[in-house]
Amino acid sequence: MRVSTRAGLVALLLLWSLGPMLWQLYTSLRTPEALLASAGGLGGGWTLANYGAVLSGDPPFWRYLLNSTVVGALSTLLTLALAIPCAYALSRRGGLLRLLVGGGLLAAAVFPYVLLFLALLQVARQLGLANNLLALCLPYAGLQLPLAVLLLQAAFAELPPELEESALLEGFSLWQRLRWILLPLMGPAVVSTGLLVFLFSWNEFPIALTWISRSELLTLAPAMARIAGSSVYTVPYGAFAAATVLGSVPLLALLLLFQRQIVAGLTQGAIKG
Amino acid sequence: MSGLLLMAPALLLLLAVFVWPLLDYAWLSLQAQSVFTGLEQVPVGTLNWQRLLADGRFWQDAWQTLRFAVVSVALELVAGLAIALLLHQRWRGRGVARSLALLPWALPTTVMALGWRWIFNDPYGPINGLLQLLGLATVPFLAAPELAWLATVVADVWKTTPFVALLLLAGLQMIPHDLYEAFALEGGTPWQGLWRITVPLLRPYIFIVLLFRLAQALGVFDLIAVLTGGGPASSTESLAVYAYLNAMRFLDFGYSATVMLGMFLLLLAGAAALLLWRRHTEVRA
Amino acid sequence: MRGRLAAIGLGLTLALAIGLLSWAWARPAAVVRVLMPAPFADATADLVAAFNGRHRDVRIAVTRGPFETDAVSDLAISSLLLGDSPYDLLLMDVTWTAKYAAAGWLQPLDPWLGAEALEPLVSGARAGNRIDGRLYRLPLVADMGLLYWRTDLMEAPPRTPDELVAISRRLQEQGRVRWGYVWQGRQYEGLSCVFLELIAGFGGHWGPTAQASGEQGFGLAGPAAARAAGWLQQLVREGISPQAVANFAEPEALQSFEAGEAAFLRNWPYAWQELQREGSAVAGKVGIATMVAEPGEPHAATQGSWGFSLLTGTPHPEAAVQVLQALTGDASQRQLVTRYGYTPTLTALFDDPELVAERPLLPQLRQALEQAVLRPLNPGYAQLSDILQRQLSALITGRGDPALAMARAGRESDLLLRASGQGLAPRPQEVSP
Repeated sequence: MRVSTRAGLVALLLLWSLGPMLWQLYTSLRTPEALLASAGGLGGGWTLANYGAVLSGDPPFWRYLLNSTVVGALSTLLTLALAIPCAYALSRRGGLLRLLVGGGLLAAAVFPYVLLFLALLQVARQLGLANNLLALCLPYAGLQLPLAVLLLQAAFAELPPELEESALLEGFSLWQRLRWILLPLMGPAVVSTGLLVFLFSWNEFPIALTWISRSELLTLAPAMARIAGSSVYTVPYGAFAAATVLGSVPLLALLLLFQRQIVAGLTQGAIKG
Repeated sequence: MSGLLLMAPALLLLLAVFVWPLLDYAWLSLQAQSVFTGLEQVPVGTLNWQRLLADGRFWQDAWQTLRFAVVSVALELVAGLAIALLLHQRWRGRGVARSLALLPWALPTTVMALGWRWIFNDPYGPINGLLQLLGLATVPFLAAPELAWLATVVADVWKTTPFVALLLLAGLQMIPHDLYEAFALEGGTPWQGLWRITVPLLRPYIFIVLLFRLAQALGVFDLIAVLTGGGPASSTESLAVYAYLNAMRFLDFGYSATVMLGMFLLLLAGAAALLLWRRHTEVRA
Repeated sequence: MRGRLAAIGLGLTLALAIGLLSWAWARPAAVVRVLMPAPFADATADLVAAFNGRHRDVRIAVTRGPFETDAVSDLAISSLLLGDSPYDLLLMDVTWTAKYAAAGWLQPLDPWLGAEALEPLVSGARAGNRIDGRLYRLPLVADMGLLYWRTDLMEAPPRTPDELVAISRRLQEQGRVRWGYVWQGRQYEGLSCVFLELIAGFGGHWGPTAQASGEQGFGLAGPAAARAAGWLQQLVREGISPQAVANFAEPEALQSFEAGEAAFLRNWPYAWQELQREGSAVAGKVGIATMVAEPGEPHAATQGSWGFSLLTGTPHPEAAVQVLQALTGDASQRQLVTRYGYTPTLTALFDDPELVAERPLLPQLRQALEQAVLRPLNPGYAQLSDILQRQLSALITGRGDPALAMARAGRESDLLLRASGQGLAPRPQEVSP
């Protein structure tokens, strides 16, 4: 392929991927009058007021980001705590059980989980788990376990069995083997799995929508939906766009920092799953 | 034995989150649990299922969901393959471009759904702004039933193509380069190489992509809920949105469970068809 | 002696006053939280501020809900389902009341307001607030469907469907208007409102039929429903209404009529002001009437209204009722009428010469309100309406036989009611205050 053709295609790709985001950034910096006056007119009407409005709302926007971060971090820890032992045990077994559990996990990983919201809502109603960020981590961990176990199981299976056998000979307990021999080697797999779980929990919508009704406890995704629903006839799109930008920045940072690990996790999932 | 013990907590949570709901729905679909019953369960036999079969909205939504999923995933596959081929070549800045291209996938769907609502706005959004600059009439993307579903497809393709491209890129990296060289020596053009080497060898990856993406697209909820709310005239409503409305707006839990179970059965049928198709193509290949 | 008595009296009074004051001071004000759709939150902002200025022990805190009607309900339901309502009062559309009451989320108002609470209201505004004999809602403003007609094109508005078609056809043939009649034909709630007026005008009734067997097609299986639906289909088929009417909601229909394109428009009272504004092609040439009907049948007007309901979980119902009464009272409604153009519900306001002088339409609105018909008071109303809209929309866009389509809608309605358990379980226990 000619270099100029390729440069053109790359530019097109970036325009397609980033254009909508950049348009949000542009919108978020314009006054409402400038947005309504004429499309594309760049003269005048620049402002930071939209960010001020979003950050001084009730509750302020950073609250949603904080809630999402708390839920994301705790769900990730819980998922890993449950998935690592399960994946280890699964990778050390052969035969029918592994095949069955593996197949079930794949089916669950693919399953459109939105179908589960009603049953989970009833659980929340009956056990009083509603409006509780800690409780929200339970379904999140459950929903992400299939993918996490599959990814970690594949990584465990790649470790040479001799490693563990020699540790066994030296009298290491199961816990010691896991903690001191296997997990250090599993670092990259654990990190990329954790990042995928975190991304899921940060972005999850239907369960959060039905489990959380108090506005100060909303996570980012349902908060955005509520912001979207709160005005149709007026055009406070500057404020919407500011919310969009603020909601995207943490993920952009995460992506730039951990791009390699996230890509590794995703492609591992495809190859091993 | 200790192996089972290690797996037990995870398996228990999995059973609670994935298996129990389906059993619950099977039970609930034979009950009336709605405002009429004070949200208590009362057995009604197969009435919910009879209603499902006669429910024009369910079947309309099933068709719309299928249309959305098939069109979106087909476009994502084509665009994803093109992007994967581009990223597979060696050039400076490839890594940065790859992370930037991945951004749409990483963002919460509801965040950019709100963004797309603004982009498709009539008349103030950028697309209609451009049309006006060109002296053309504005297009009510989100208000016209025949256009609104295409708007949801565009937003979905934008968001999930990076995911597809990455998986296919992983597949491309598995194909040995000598194959192409040998093919070129025999006089094959790059375009022929794409169809004779790349696509056949990518088939397992394409299968994985189809499996993940079709399942996700058939369960589409977040995007529709925020971008169109299912309108206009429920022309973009998906089955998941309908099930949600039945529970949360109409307070008809028995029927909501029936809709979800009906959707689950349709999904199973689809998955079976996909597996048969794979077996069929594998036999041929 | 007298001095001592006076001193004791003064001392006692002072002590009492101090005691009362400190008691009042120490008692925190009851905060009554009210959820309203954004337009009402804006329109009542002054009233709320004035109330809060007047009262020390009760404060109103308004949550400004979404603009969209359904979104407001979604917000309330998501809290109520989780058993954790952050509100005491809810401003509700007339079609929600049955659902909320059946879910057990509303407190009857009779114990607080007495049996005559609705007496001061004009008759058309009284309907739709009682479910099973209990009062669950007190209306704030009224709304009803009207037939707008062009005073420059005819002497008097048509009174029957045939007249409307004949006048339209004549004017269209003379080239004086492009279309005869524009209305709300999009597949949404507005279409159900249009149909409700017509089924009454053709001698029918949308709702449970007299026989309680539940197999009567919810009033849709009879000839009136077929004729009403057939008439709408005929309007489009014969070009009295544009084909685009199948995608018209209120704004599109209003726009077409305002541009002088049509002889008749079906809309709500708010359209009047819009039609009279500068730049309207029909300013000063518009009259209002009730909907057409077959001779001897009622000229019906679909009732739409907003009113306050008291939620079961409220910790201080007394204060909440006080707020409810203040916001629906004479002074409050008067301000909503004069400043924001809403239609009142109190007879006293319709009769007030000062107010009538300011808003000359009031007597005619009252007449229309006397003809108000209700959409079915049923907890499953939203789904029943959806079933109807679906069939009507298909008919308007040209497909199908009206009688068959309405019979199908009737069967689906019956099935819905049976499957969701109507009549299977006792209503939830009312909570007495």
